[in-house]
Amino acid sequence: MDKILRINLGAEGGPKFSTGPVGEYAGLGGRALTSAVVAKEVPPTCHPLGADNKLIIAPGLLSGTTAAMSGRLSVGCKSPLTGGIKEANAGGQASQVLARLGYAAIILEGKPREGTLYKIFINKDGIKIEADNSLKGLPNYDLIEKMKAQYGDKIACLSIGPAGEMKLGAASIACTDMELRPTRHAGRGGVGAVMGSKGVKVIILDDTGKTMRSPKEVERFKEAQKAWVKGLQSHPVTGQGLPAYGTNVLTNILNEAGGYPTYNFKQGRFDGAAKISGETQAELETSRGGLATHGCHRGCIIRCSGTYNDKDGHFLTKQPEYETVWAHGGNCGIDDLDAIAQIDFLDDNYGLDTIEMGATIGVAMEAGLLKFGDAQGAIGLIKEVGQGTPLGRILGSGAAVTGRVFGVERVPVVKGQAMPAYDPRAVQGIGVTYATTTQGADHTAGYAVTANIMNVGGQVDPLKPEGQIDLSRNLQIVTAAVDSTGMCLFVAFATLDQPETFQALIDMINAFYGLNLTADDVVALGKSVLKNERDFNTRAGFTSKDDRLPEFFQKEKLEPHKVTFQVKDEELDQVFNW
Amino acid sequence: MNRPPFFIGETMEHALEMIVDKRSLHYFFSLFQKGVGIKISTGGNLRDLLTLTLKIPSDYVENRIQTIFLDGKAVDNPEEAFVREGSTLALSAAMPGLVGATLRRSGAFSSLRRAITLSEEEEPGPKKEGRIILKLFNLLVPELAPSLLIRGVLLKGNELNKFLEGLPDLFWGDCREAFYMGRRVESPFQATDLVVERDTLTLLKVVSGR
Repeated sequence: MDKILRINLGAEGGPKFSTGPVGEYAGLGGRALTSAVVAKEVPPTCHPLGADNKLIIAPGLLSGTTAAMSGRLSVGCKSPLTGGIKEANAGGQASQVLARLGYAAIILEGKPREGTLYKIFINKDGIKIEADNSLKGLPNYDLIEKMKAQYGDKIACLSIGPAGEMKLGAASIACTDMELRPTRHAGRGGVGAVMGSKGVKVIILDDTGKTMRSPKEVERFKEAQKAWVKGLQSHPVTGQGLPAYGTNVLTNILNEAGGYPTYNFKQGRFDGAAKISGETQAELETSRGGLATHGCHRGCIIRCSGTYNDKDGHFLTKQPEYETVWAHGGNCGIDDLDAIAQIDFLDDNYGLDTIEMGATIGVAMEAGLLKFGDAQGAIGLIKEVGQGTPLGRILGSGAAVTGRVFGVERVPVVKGQAMPAYDPRAVQGIGVTYATTTQGADHTAGYAVTANIMNVGGQVDPLKPEGQIDLSRNLQIVTAAVDSTGMCLFVAFATLDQPETFQALIDMINAFYGLNLTADDVVALGKSVLKNERDFNTRAGFTSKDDRLPEFFQKEKLEPHKVTFQVKDEELDQVFNW
Repeated sequence: MNRPPFFIGETMEHALEMIVDKRSLHYFFSLFQKGVGIKISTGGNLRDLLTLTLKIPSDYVENRIQTIFLDGKAVDNPEEAFVREGSTLALSAAMPGLVGATLRRSGAFSSLRRAITLSEEEEPGPKKEGRIILKLFNLLVPELAPSLLIRGVLLKGNELNKFLEGLPDLFWGDCREAFYMGRRVESPFQATDLVVERDTLTLLKVVSGR
C-alpha cells in the first residue's frame, strides 16, 4: 500500500493514469488520507460536480491484512449535498482487495468532455480504462452481473447506479460484498454523484495472485490480533447482540426512550416499532431461510448483517440496517418489513443513500405528496428516482431540496444532509455532534469510542451539563482516528469497555508498521483530520451559523417527553475550541 | 379436567395455562417486545422488584441488564428508581452505537441524554398490590421470558386472542395441553374462541417441556 493511482478523466485524448508513491501522504489511511487530499488538492469553492473536484477512494491502514474487522473503505470529495468536505465509508470487499493490490488510494480527477461512461479494471498486472456506453442506465445489480460474466467471480466492484449517473445529491457508491452483491454503500453526501461526474460507472478490482499484506513484526502482530479477536468476541455487544439481531436491535430501545423520530420527526415513538424491530426481523429472516448473522466482508467477526428473503424464500436484499429500517419505516409511518426490505433493495439497485431517501420521503409525506404509512406510495417514489422523472430527480436531490421545492418547514437536515435515526431532543448530546460535525448530520461522526479511557480533552464529568460538549468533541476526535484505520466502527463497543482491546488495536498498527504509537498519537491524528476538514469547510464558506440544528428542534416539543433541544449556540461554538 | 400441578401460585379467574415443547416457547417471545402485565407490589425500588419479586439473580441484574427504562426515562441506579402502579418497565442488554452506549445505565456518556434521565422527585407511596407493564428486548428475551411465563403474564383478552390466532400450525403441534379457566382446551380453535372478552385481563402461564 505504498502507491497512489491517479486517473485524469479529462485528459486530452481520453483518460490517462499515473501511479506514484504516496509521498507527503505517507502514514495516512482511510479518512485521514481522503480528507488530507481534499484539503490540499481540491479548491474549496469549486463546483462539486466540476473538473476541479476529486474523488478519493482509500482503504484503511490495516485493510488487506489479517486484522479482523479491517475492511472499511473511505471515499472523500467535496460533497454535492453539503458543499463541504465529505468522507463516506462502506464495508464490503473493495477495501481489502484494493489494499492487497498495493494502493493507498485511487484518485479520480478531471472531467470527461463528452458523456462517455468508463469502466476501470485493476489487477496485479496494471490498469485498464475502457469506454463502455452499454453500461449506461444500468442499476447496480444488473451491472455487477455483467461484470461477473466478463471478469469472473473473484472480483470486487465499486459502482454507481442510475442515481450516480444523474448526479443526484443522494447518490451512493456501491461496494460488493462477499457474495458479489452491491449491498454495501458509501452512502452519505452524494459521493456517487461525484463518481458520475467523472464518467466512471464501475471500478473492478481483482487481487488474484496477490497475498495478504505482511506486518513488519509478525509475532507482535499475531499476538495483538489474538487479543483483538478475543476482546471483540467476549463483549456482549460485538460478541452477542450485534450478531444475533444486527443494528436494528436499536429500534425497540430508541422507541422506548422516546427518541425514535417518527412521522418526519414529529414524535419520538412509533406504534408499529415492534413490527419492524431487530428481534422481529431476525425471526422473520431465519423463518424464511435467510440469515440473521452474516459478515459484509471477509475478516468480519461481528457479522451484524444478514440476508433478507421474500415470502417465497428468494433473496430480496441484505439485512436492512437500523438506520434504513428507521428512515423508510418509522420515519415514514411504515410498519411493514417486506416493504422496507423492498425499498432497501431499490435504494441499493439505483445507488441511493437510504438515510437521505427515507428522510426525503418523510418530507414528501409532510408536504402531502402521499400519506404517512403509504408503503406502496413510498416504493413508487423511489422508482421515480430510479427512472429519473422530474419528481424523482427532485427527491433524489435529498431532503433539503425536496423541502424547499414543496415549502416544508420541518426538514431534518444539517449542512444540507439528512439527519439519522436518533432525535436530538431526546439524546441532546448527539444533537451537538449532528450540528457541529464537518460532515453534515452524521451519527457516525462522533461514535461511542474510547474517549473517556483516553481522556482526550481532559477528564469529562458525565454528570455536568458541559459534559456533552466535551464528550462530543472527544468522540469526534477519536472517531476521525478510527475512521483512518479501516476498522469497522462497531469495534467501538468492545474498545469502550475493555481498555486492553483498544490497546490491542494500537498494538496491531504498531506491529504492522513497526511503529510505537501511543494513545496520544492517535488523538493527534484525529485532531489533524478534523483540522483539515474544518479548514476546508471554512475556506468553502462555512461559518458557525452552519453548525446549528434546524429551528424546529428548539421550538417543537418532542412527545412523549415534551423536550426541545436545549444546547445553546455559544455552547456549540465551543466544540472545536481545543 | 382440572388444571394440572405444573402451575403453582395464584391463578385469576380468566387464565390460560399451556404446556408446550421447549422448541416452541419462542413463539411467546414477541409478546415481551410490546409488553406484558405483571402483578407486583408497587412502591418499592426497582432493584428489589427485579431481584426479590422477579427473582432475577443479582449479578445478572448488575451485569447483563445494562439498559433500563422506567416510563420511558433512562435509569442509572435501580435502587433509586421506584415502581408505581401502571408503570412501564423496559429491560435490555448493552446496546450498540453512540446512542446505545449513551442509554446504558451510569455509562460514560450519560450526560448526552440527561433530558430523558429518570430523576425521582416524589416519594414512591405505600407498598400495595398493583400491576405494571414489563417489556423485554433483545438478548434478555430468551433468557428471562421462560421464567416469567411460568410465573404468569397478564394480557388483555383481545391481545391474547390476536396472539393465539397468529400462531402457526407448527406451534399447535407442539402444544401438549392447554387449560382455560382450569378446563382442558381440546383444540386451537377452541382456545381462540374462549378468550373473547376484549378488555378482561387474562393470566397466561406457559410451561415448556422437552
